[in-house]
Amino acid sequence: MLWKDKYELGVPLIDTQHKELFQRVESFMQVLRSSASWEDKVQRVNETLEFMKGYVVEHFRDEEAYQASIGYPNWEEHKKIHTEMVNYVVQVSQEYEKSGFDQQLIQQFAGKLLAWLINHVASEDQRIATYAIEKGVAGNEH
Amino acid sequence: MNTDLYAPFLEATRSVFQLMLDLSDIEDRPSDTFPDSDETLDIAIGVIGDLTGEVIYRFPVTTSVNIVNIMSGMEVDSVDEFVTSAIFEIANIISGNVLTTLSGNDLACDILPPVQRAGDDSKSYEIKMACCLSTSAGDVCLDIRLNPSKG
Repeated sequence: MLWKDKYELGVPLIDTQHKELFQRVESFMQVLRSSASWEDKVQRVNETLEFMKGYVVEHFRDEEAYQASIGYPNWEEHKKIHTEMVNYVVQVSQEYEKSGFDQQLIQQFAGKLLAWLINHVASEDQRIATYAIEKGVAGNEH
Repeated sequence: MNTDLYAPFLEATRSVFQLMLDLSDIEDRPSDTFPDSDETLDIAIGVIGDLTGEVIYRFPVTTSVNIVNIMSGMEVDSVDEFVTSAIFEIANIISGNVLTTLSGNDLACDILPPVQRAGDDSKSYEIKMACCLSTSAGDVCLDIRLNPSKG
Protein backbone atom coordinates (compact mmCIF):
# COMPACT_ATOMS: atom_id res chain seq x y z
CA MET A 1 0.00 0.00 0.00
CA LEU A 2 1.61 3.24 -1.13
CA TRP A 3 -0.69 5.46 0.89
CA LYS A 4 0.45 6.53 4.35
CA ASP A 5 -1.70 8.23 6.97
CA LYS A 6 0.90 10.98 7.33
CA TYR A 7 -0.15 12.19 3.85
CA GLU A 8 -3.61 13.17 5.13
CA LEU A 9 -4.50 16.85 5.00
CA GLY A 10 -7.60 16.52 7.13
CA VAL A 11 -9.80 17.64 4.24
CA PRO A 12 -12.12 14.70 3.46
CA LEU A 13 -12.65 15.42 -0.26
CA ILE A 14 -8.94 15.98 -0.96
CA ASP A 15 -7.83 13.03 1.17
CA THR A 16 -10.28 10.71 -0.60
CA GLN A 17 -9.00 11.88 -3.98
CA HIS A 18 -5.37 11.46 -2.91
CA LYS A 19 -6.08 7.90 -1.72
CA GLU A 20 -7.75 7.14 -5.06
CA LEU A 21 -4.76 8.54 -6.95
CA PHE A 22 -2.31 6.50 -4.90
CA GLN A 23 -4.40 3.39 -5.43
CA ARG A 24 -4.56 3.95 -9.18
CA VAL A 25 -0.84 4.63 -9.44
CA GLU A 26 -0.16 1.50 -7.42
CA SER A 27 -2.30 -0.74 -9.61
CA PHE A 28 -0.85 0.96 -12.70
CA MET A 29 2.66 0.04 -11.51
CA GLN A 30 1.63 -3.49 -10.63
CA VAL A 31 0.28 -4.05 -14.13
CA LEU A 32 3.30 -2.40 -15.69
CA ARG A 33 5.82 -4.37 -13.64
CA SER A 34 4.09 -7.75 -13.87
CA SER A 35 5.62 -10.58 -15.87
CA ALA A 36 2.78 -10.57 -18.42
CA SER A 37 3.66 -9.76 -22.01
CA TRP A 38 3.49 -6.13 -23.11
CA GLU A 39 0.63 -6.98 -25.50
CA ASP A 40 -1.39 -8.24 -22.53
CA LYS A 41 -0.65 -5.13 -20.48
CA VAL A 42 -1.36 -2.50 -23.10
CA GLN A 43 -5.12 -2.34 -22.66
CA ARG A 44 -4.98 -1.87 -18.88
CA VAL A 45 -2.15 0.62 -19.18
CA ASN A 46 -4.21 2.61 -21.70
CA GLU A 47 -7.27 2.55 -19.45
CA THR A 48 -5.26 3.80 -16.47
CA LEU A 49 -3.70 6.55 -18.55
CA GLU A 50 -7.13 7.71 -19.68
CA PHE A 51 -8.36 7.68 -16.08
CA MET A 52 -5.31 9.59 -14.88
CA LYS A 53 -5.71 12.29 -17.51
CA GLY A 54 -9.26 13.00 -16.36
CA TYR A 55 -8.93 12.38 -12.64
CA VAL A 56 -5.73 14.36 -12.14
CA VAL A 57 -7.33 17.43 -13.71
CA GLU A 58 -10.49 17.02 -11.61
CA HIS A 59 -8.50 16.55 -8.40
CA PHE A 60 -6.22 19.52 -9.07
CA ARG A 61 -9.29 21.70 -9.73
CA ASP A 62 -10.89 20.65 -6.42
CA GLU A 63 -7.65 21.13 -4.51
CA GLU A 64 -7.18 24.61 -6.02
CA ALA A 65 -10.77 25.48 -5.06
CA TYR A 66 -10.00 24.41 -1.49
CA GLN A 67 -6.89 26.60 -1.46
CA ALA A 68 -8.98 29.55 -2.63
CA SER A 69 -11.64 28.86 0.03
CA ILE A 70 -9.08 29.15 2.86
CA GLY A 71 -7.09 31.99 1.30
CA TYR A 72 -3.93 29.92 0.85
CA PRO A 73 -1.25 32.48 -0.10
CA ASN A 74 0.93 30.18 -2.24
CA TRP A 75 -1.93 29.07 -4.50
CA GLU A 76 -0.37 30.58 -7.61
CA GLU A 77 2.88 28.67 -7.19
CA HIS A 78 0.95 25.49 -6.38
CA LYS A 79 -1.26 25.91 -9.44
CA LYS A 80 1.86 26.25 -11.60
CA ILE A 81 3.13 22.87 -10.31
CA HIS A 82 -0.28 21.32 -11.11
CA THR A 83 -0.29 22.81 -14.61
CA GLU A 84 3.21 21.51 -15.31
CA MET A 85 2.16 18.00 -14.24
CA VAL A 86 -1.00 18.06 -16.36
CA ASN A 87 1.06 19.20 -19.35
CA TYR A 88 3.55 16.42 -18.69
CA VAL A 89 0.81 13.76 -18.55
CA VAL A 90 -0.74 15.06 -21.79
CA GLN A 91 2.66 15.23 -23.49
CA VAL A 92 3.61 11.67 -22.49
CA SER A 93 0.19 10.43 -23.51
CA GLN A 94 0.53 11.98 -26.96
CA GLU A 95 4.08 10.64 -27.42
CA TYR A 96 2.90 7.22 -26.24
CA GLU A 97 0.13 7.06 -28.82
CA LYS A 98 2.40 8.40 -31.53
CA SER A 99 5.04 5.78 -30.72
CA GLY A 100 2.53 2.96 -31.05
CA PHE A 101 2.31 2.30 -27.28
CA ASP A 102 6.01 2.18 -26.51
CA GLN A 103 6.68 0.31 -23.25
CA GLN A 104 9.92 2.14 -22.40
CA LEU A 105 8.16 5.50 -22.45
CA ILE A 106 5.48 4.31 -20.05
CA GLN A 107 8.00 2.75 -17.68
CA GLN A 108 9.72 6.15 -17.51
CA PHE A 109 6.38 7.86 -16.95
CA ALA A 110 5.51 5.50 -14.08
CA GLY A 111 8.85 6.06 -12.35
CA LYS A 112 8.49 9.83 -12.45
CA LEU A 113 4.82 9.71 -11.48
CA LEU A 114 5.59 7.56 -8.42
CA ALA A 115 8.28 9.88 -7.04
CA TRP A 116 6.40 13.05 -8.03
CA LEU A 117 3.14 12.00 -6.38
CA ILE A 118 4.78 10.98 -3.10
CA ASN A 119 6.76 14.20 -2.88
CA HIS A 120 3.88 16.42 -3.95
CA VAL A 121 1.37 15.03 -1.47
CA ALA A 122 3.88 14.57 1.38
CA SER A 123 5.52 17.96 0.94
CA GLU A 124 3.68 20.58 -1.17
CA ASP A 125 0.16 19.59 -0.14
CA GLN A 126 1.12 19.35 3.53
CA ARG A 127 1.96 23.07 3.43
CA ILE A 128 -1.72 23.75 2.69
CA ALA A 129 -2.74 21.75 5.76
CA THR A 130 -0.11 23.49 7.91
CA TYR A 131 -1.39 26.90 6.76
CA ALA A 132 -5.03 25.95 7.46
CA ILE A 133 -4.17 24.83 10.99
CA GLU A 134 -1.99 27.89 11.72
CA LYS A 135 -4.69 30.29 10.48
CA GLY A 136 -7.45 28.41 12.22
CA VAL A 137 -9.31 27.75 8.96
CA ALA A 138 -8.94 23.97 8.93
CA GLY A 139 -12.33 22.37 8.33
CA ASN A 140 -13.65 25.45 6.48
CA GLU A 141 -13.86 23.71 3.13
CA HIS A 142 -17.11 23.86 1.18
CA MET B 1 30.98 29.95 -0.76
CA ASN B 2 31.92 26.27 -0.52
CA THR B 3 30.60 25.90 3.01
CA ASP B 4 27.41 27.73 2.06
CA LEU B 5 26.59 25.20 -0.66
CA TYR B 6 27.62 22.02 1.09
CA ALA B 7 25.03 22.46 3.83
CA PRO B 8 21.95 23.14 1.61
CA PHE B 9 22.67 20.11 -0.60
CA LEU B 10 23.16 17.79 2.35
CA GLU B 11 20.14 19.19 4.14
CA ALA B 12 17.89 18.90 1.06
CA THR B 13 18.97 15.30 0.47
CA ARG B 14 18.46 14.46 4.10
CA SER B 15 15.01 16.04 4.18
CA VAL B 16 13.80 14.44 0.91
CA PHE B 17 14.98 11.01 2.06
CA GLN B 18 13.24 11.48 5.37
CA LEU B 19 10.01 12.71 3.85
CA MET B 20 9.71 10.35 0.89
CA LEU B 21 11.41 7.22 2.19
CA ASP B 22 10.99 7.56 5.94
CA LEU B 23 14.74 7.26 6.34
CA SER B 24 16.03 8.98 9.44
CA ASP B 25 19.38 7.18 9.84
CA ILE B 26 21.21 9.56 7.50
CA GLU B 27 24.85 10.40 8.15
CA ASP B 28 27.65 12.17 6.31
CA ARG B 29 30.42 9.94 5.11
CA PRO B 30 33.76 10.47 3.37
CA SER B 31 33.42 10.71 -0.41
CA ASP B 32 36.79 9.12 -1.24
CA THR B 33 35.62 5.52 -0.92
CA PHE B 34 32.66 5.87 -3.24
CA PRO B 35 32.20 3.21 -5.98
CA ASP B 36 33.35 3.75 -9.59
CA SER B 37 30.86 5.15 -12.05
CA ASP B 38 30.26 1.74 -13.68
CA GLU B 39 28.56 0.66 -10.45
CA THR B 40 26.48 3.79 -10.06
CA LEU B 41 23.57 5.57 -11.68
CA ASP B 42 25.03 9.02 -12.38
CA ILE B 43 22.58 11.84 -12.94
CA ALA B 44 23.68 15.30 -14.05
CA ILE B 45 21.49 18.29 -13.29
CA GLY B 46 22.57 21.50 -14.99
CA VAL B 47 22.38 24.74 -13.02
CA ILE B 48 21.98 28.17 -14.63
CA GLY B 49 21.62 31.66 -13.21
CA ASP B 50 23.77 33.27 -10.50
CA LEU B 51 25.58 29.95 -10.32
CA THR B 52 26.34 27.97 -13.47
CA GLY B 53 27.49 24.39 -13.77
CA GLU B 54 26.13 21.05 -12.73
CA VAL B 55 25.47 18.75 -9.83
CA ILE B 56 26.13 15.06 -10.34
CA TYR B 57 24.10 12.72 -8.19
CA ARG B 58 25.77 9.33 -7.88
CA PHE B 59 23.41 6.59 -6.73
CA PRO B 60 24.98 3.13 -6.46
CA VAL B 61 22.83 0.50 -8.20
CA THR B 62 21.88 -1.07 -4.85
CA THR B 63 20.81 2.31 -3.44
CA SER B 64 18.70 3.05 -6.54
CA VAL B 65 16.94 -0.29 -6.34
CA ASN B 66 16.39 -0.01 -2.58
CA ILE B 67 14.92 3.49 -2.91
CA VAL B 68 12.44 2.42 -5.58
CA ASN B 69 11.50 -0.67 -3.57
CA ILE B 70 10.70 1.55 -0.58
CA MET B 71 8.68 4.01 -2.67
CA SER B 72 6.78 1.48 -4.74
CA GLY B 73 6.39 -1.30 -2.19
CA MET B 74 7.37 -3.67 -4.97
CA GLU B 75 10.39 -5.90 -5.51
CA VAL B 76 12.54 -4.31 -8.17
CA ASP B 77 15.93 -5.95 -8.62
CA SER B 78 17.74 -4.02 -11.33
CA VAL B 79 18.07 -0.52 -12.72
CA ASP B 80 15.80 -0.11 -15.73
CA GLU B 81 13.83 2.79 -17.24
CA PHE B 82 11.32 2.77 -14.37
CA VAL B 83 14.01 2.93 -11.66
CA THR B 84 16.13 5.46 -13.55
CA SER B 85 13.15 7.75 -14.04
CA ALA B 86 12.14 7.58 -10.36
CA ILE B 87 15.73 8.38 -9.27
CA PHE B 88 15.88 11.23 -11.85
CA GLU B 89 12.81 12.71 -10.19
CA ILE B 90 14.35 12.41 -6.72
CA ALA B 91 17.49 14.22 -7.91
CA ASN B 92 15.22 16.83 -9.46
CA ILE B 93 13.28 17.29 -6.20
CA ILE B 94 16.47 17.60 -4.11
CA SER B 95 17.90 20.16 -6.55
CA GLY B 96 14.65 22.14 -6.55
CA ASN B 97 14.71 22.29 -2.75
CA VAL B 98 18.31 23.50 -2.79
CA LEU B 99 17.40 26.30 -5.20
CA THR B 100 14.62 27.39 -2.87
CA THR B 101 17.16 27.61 -0.02
CA LEU B 102 19.62 29.50 -2.23
CA SER B 103 16.97 31.98 -3.32
CA GLY B 104 16.59 32.87 0.37
CA ASN B 105 20.31 33.78 0.24
CA ASP B 106 19.75 36.03 -2.83
CA LEU B 107 21.12 33.50 -5.30
CA ALA B 108 18.71 33.11 -8.22
CA CYS B 109 19.29 29.86 -10.08
CA ASP B 110 17.31 27.46 -12.21
CA ILE B 111 17.84 23.78 -12.99
CA LEU B 112 17.82 21.86 -16.25
CA PRO B 113 16.14 18.46 -16.74
CA PRO B 114 18.15 15.50 -15.39
CA VAL B 115 20.43 13.65 -17.79
CA GLN B 116 22.10 10.30 -17.19
CA ARG B 117 25.86 10.87 -17.40
CA ALA B 118 28.99 11.31 -15.29
CA GLY B 119 30.54 14.71 -14.64
CA ASP B 120 32.54 16.52 -17.31
CA ASP B 121 36.08 16.63 -15.90
CA SER B 122 37.40 18.78 -18.75
CA LYS B 123 35.82 21.93 -17.33
CA SER B 124 37.14 23.86 -14.36
CA TYR B 125 34.94 25.05 -11.53
CA GLU B 126 35.51 27.55 -8.78
CA ILE B 127 33.20 25.58 -6.50
CA LYS B 128 33.98 21.90 -6.68
CA MET B 129 33.12 19.55 -3.86
CA ALA B 130 31.83 16.09 -3.21
CA CYS B 131 29.69 15.06 -0.31
CA CYS B 132 28.17 11.70 0.52
CA LEU B 133 25.44 10.40 2.72
CA SER B 134 25.05 7.00 4.22
CA THR B 135 21.56 5.59 4.86
CA SER B 136 20.00 2.20 5.52
CA ALA B 137 18.89 2.21 1.85
CA GLY B 138 22.51 2.68 0.80
CA ASP B 139 24.87 5.55 0.08
CA VAL B 140 24.42 8.49 -2.21
CA CYS B 141 27.06 10.97 -3.33
CA LEU B 142 26.76 14.47 -4.74
CA ASP B 143 29.45 16.04 -6.87
CA ILE B 144 28.90 19.79 -6.96
CA ARG B 145 30.59 21.73 -9.78
CA LEU B 146 29.61 25.37 -10.05
CA ASN B 147 30.93 28.78 -11.07
CA PRO B 148 29.51 32.08 -9.85
CA SER B 149 28.22 34.00 -12.88
CA LYS B 150 30.26 37.04 -13.87
CA GLY B 151 28.81 40.50 -13.66
